[in-house]
Amino acid sequence: MARQFDDHPGRTSERAFPWDHLHTSTDTVLCSICYYGSVLLGARTFMVCNWKVRSSRIVRSSAAFFFLVLPMLAAGQAVSMEIVGRVPRVLILYPYDERIAATTEAGEAVRNRLREGTAGKVDIFSEFLDLTRFPEKAHVEKMAHFLTDKYRDRRPDVVIALSDESASFIATHRNTVAPGARIVTTGLSRSTAGNIHLPGDVIGVFNKDDIVKTLEMARGLQPKARHLFIIGGSADLDRAWLATARADLADLAKNYETTYLENVTIDEFVQRAARFPPDSIVLALTIFKDSTGRNFIPREAIRQIAATASAPIYGPYPTYIDHGIVGGNMVTFESLGLAVADLALDAIAGNPIVSVDAAPIYIADARQLKRWGLSESDLPAGTVQWFKEKTLWEEHWLAVLTTIAVIAAQGVVIAGLLVERRRRRAAELELRVRLLELVHLNQSATAGALTASIAHELNQPLGAIRSNAEAGELLLRGETPDLNLIKQILVDIKDDDQRAGDIITRLRGLLKKRSEIDWQEFDLNEVIKSAIKILRPEAERRSIVISCSGATDELRVRADRVHIQQVILNLATNAMDAMLDVASTERRLKFQTRLTKGSKVELSISDTGDGIPGEQLVGVFDPFYTTKPTGTGLGLSIARMIVETYAGKIWAGNNPEGGAVIRFNLPLVRSGCVT
Amino acid sequence: MTPIIHIVDDDDSFRTAVGRLIASYGFRVAFYESGDQFLTALPTPEPGCIVLDLQLPGLSGSALQERLAETAPLLPIIYLTGEGNIQAGVRAIKAGAEDFLEKPASGEALKEAIDRALLQNERRRAEHDRVHALEALVASLTPRESEVFCQMVRGKRNKQIAYAISTSERTVKAHRHCVMEKLGAKSLAEAVSIAERMGLLDISPKPMRRA
Repeated sequence: MARQFDDHPGRTSERAFPWDHLHTSTDTVLCSICYYGSVLLGARTFMVCNWKVRSSRIVRSSAAFFFLVLPMLAAGQAVSMEIVGRVPRVLILYPYDERIAATTEAGEAVRNRLREGTAGKVDIFSEFLDLTRFPEKAHVEKMAHFLTDKYRDRRPDVVIALSDESASFIATHRNTVAPGARIVTTGLSRSTAGNIHLPGDVIGVFNKDDIVKTLEMARGLQPKARHLFIIGGSADLDRAWLATARADLADLAKNYETTYLENVTIDEFVQRAARFPPDSIVLALTIFKDSTGRNFIPREAIRQIAATASAPIYGPYPTYIDHGIVGGNMVTFESLGLAVADLALDAIAGNPIVSVDAAPIYIADARQLKRWGLSESDLPAGTVQWFKEKTLWEEHWLAVLTTIAVIAAQGVVIAGLLVERRRRRAAELELRVRLLELVHLNQSATAGALTASIAHELNQPLGAIRSNAEAGELLLRGETPDLNLIKQILVDIKDDDQRAGDIITRLRGLLKKRSEIDWQEFDLNEVIKSAIKILRPEAERRSIVISCSGATDELRVRADRVHIQQVILNLATNAMDAMLDVASTERRLKFQTRLTKGSKVELSISDTGDGIPGEQLVGVFDPFYTTKPTGTGLGLSIARMIVETYAGKIWAGNNPEGGAVIRFNLPLVRSGCVT
Repeated sequence: MTPIIHIVDDDDSFRTAVGRLIASYGFRVAFYESGDQFLTALPTPEPGCIVLDLQLPGLSGSALQERLAETAPLLPIIYLTGEGNIQAGVRAIKAGAEDFLEKPASGEALKEAIDRALLQNERRRAEHDRVHALEALVASLTPRESEVFCQMVRGKRNKQIAYAISTSERTVKAHRHCVMEKLGAKSLAEAVSIAERMGLLDISPKPMRRA
């Protein structure tokens, strides 16, 4: 025990491992460096380094054995815990504040493992003691009182102390803060545990860093190396580390041309490192200060050196990873947290627990391996590679698979849609052709129905021509022919011929076949007029009076004129057929146009027939709907198809004064819009 | 007197043309656009005929024909239509039309039809005149004579007549003589012919007065 007291590093700075303890004056200096550093650089990085350095102590003292045995004995004597009727309470003591990644990482691991191990049936409390920034004894006392008070009614069953400061704190105040609680700790070495006089029943997961194993890793990677450089700073801590390393590496160093690079400035470190022979192994310990007394965060100093170094650098701390070292044999905070949580779980379960050494593992930085051309296969078995760039497949195989599946599915869908679209286009084209054919059929039918009267109408001018011609002939036979009359006769013949020609043209228009829609802009009034001309002979034959009223302005629409005329003819012939049984003086066919909202023109065609029975108003446009014994039932349905083709609507109704009225509308073409 | 041909057709150019043709045959021509116009200007009973279109606005050709059967029965009707069909033709002829021509009819056919119609017109007029004259004669009979006339043309003997009208055979003989005198009939056969022409044989043997 006396030896242990003597070993207390704060008092004898030239002795090994003085920086294990922050309550020494040296450590206070270090701590304030850390603190200010954290202010300048962002607290996390620096503090992480600090904690880890302290926890990576190599134990070599003979006293270690004593402390190894003592906790075992204590554990054996421990009375199993009685937790009845409630969930266990665990208090985690953090030495610093919550920003410090090292303890926070370990704490998180503890927390997760505890929840996992108890299926969530555990009360976890956390206290951030912040002992580094507030180390004053009075304050610590007050905090102990506060915690005593705070946990009076919720005494923890297990206290997990992270780091030696926390362990020391709870060891001192266990009887007030957590009487009867089991105490487990981690983040310190066995020798430190002895140094701070931890009671025997405080069980720990202790660190055991091994610079030898780090060198062995380097040897494996660089079997042809001839030079060994060991870098260390000028602070007491750095020197202590160097001394330890010297001792530990004595055997292995014989195989190399070994150089301990110490007592130089940071610039010299950088310059020398840049000129190391390529067949060199570089071991970086700590650099808290350089030879000029300038303070450093070790890993930042390492970063500077590694940046331009000409040989790979190895180190014993995980925090050095990502700062330029290839790797080393080291302990992760997470593994410490998990191990100590397992101890706590055993304690809760009432199992005997004994102190264990945290198993260091080999960690390598895959990027550095690549940088130095070192082979992965030369790494010690079980090495964990950090920053290893997984292949896309390794890292995201599920996402890749999903993406491929989605793309494939999309492809299938798109292909399907394309095929569907093609078929639809073909079907639409087919439909269009069918519609045109249907319309033509309908045209022929209409023409057929109207041809008789049109042909008869043709007889008017033909008859007039003949009569005129014969009259002229007779006149010329006379002795004094009336030449003026003959001249007039010839003029009339010409006019009648023109008239006959017009009728033929109309008939042709009626029969005109379309293989494509002939889009034209035209005045709807004109089409109505021409339709009436076609209808009039038939209407006269049936004593039907045709009237036309409404908008006299030009009603420009865009469609196929022949088609629109066909719609009008269909509707009108239907209307005329509907008046067969009406007294001949009461047969009236009325065309009426009007402009409606939304720039549309509406044409209504009404008759004085019997009208359409209410229940049939909806169905009149269905194909094969007919009331006529000889009807095909296609006229109105074709009319609707045509109107809808030109973005119009058609509907049927009855006039209040009797008779049916069919209306349809078409969009007006805006003036100035020329196609 | 030159016969007058009435042309009823709503088609201006055709009406004019056919009018010219008919005029060139040497007839007088009158134009009408519609049946109503024709009825309004119902012509004086001059010799002539009507060239009528079947399809007319308002009063149709056949409707006009019906009306004319009463108001102007002497004017023969020649249909000249653009819509000739057998049905319409038969109907027209049955209703008393003189002819039924289709446009465009040749001038020759039209001329023949007109000639025939005018001949018919002439006959109708003559017949009409004769019936008219006979009617005047029949009207001149006294009621008693009229009764005797009705009986005798049905072949009754004087004795039967006397019995029927409760008078003597002598008186019947005297009436009979007067009837023959007034009607200018030289034989019973002539008297029967007159009665037949006036349609007196179809109706009851009761003595009747003509309006």
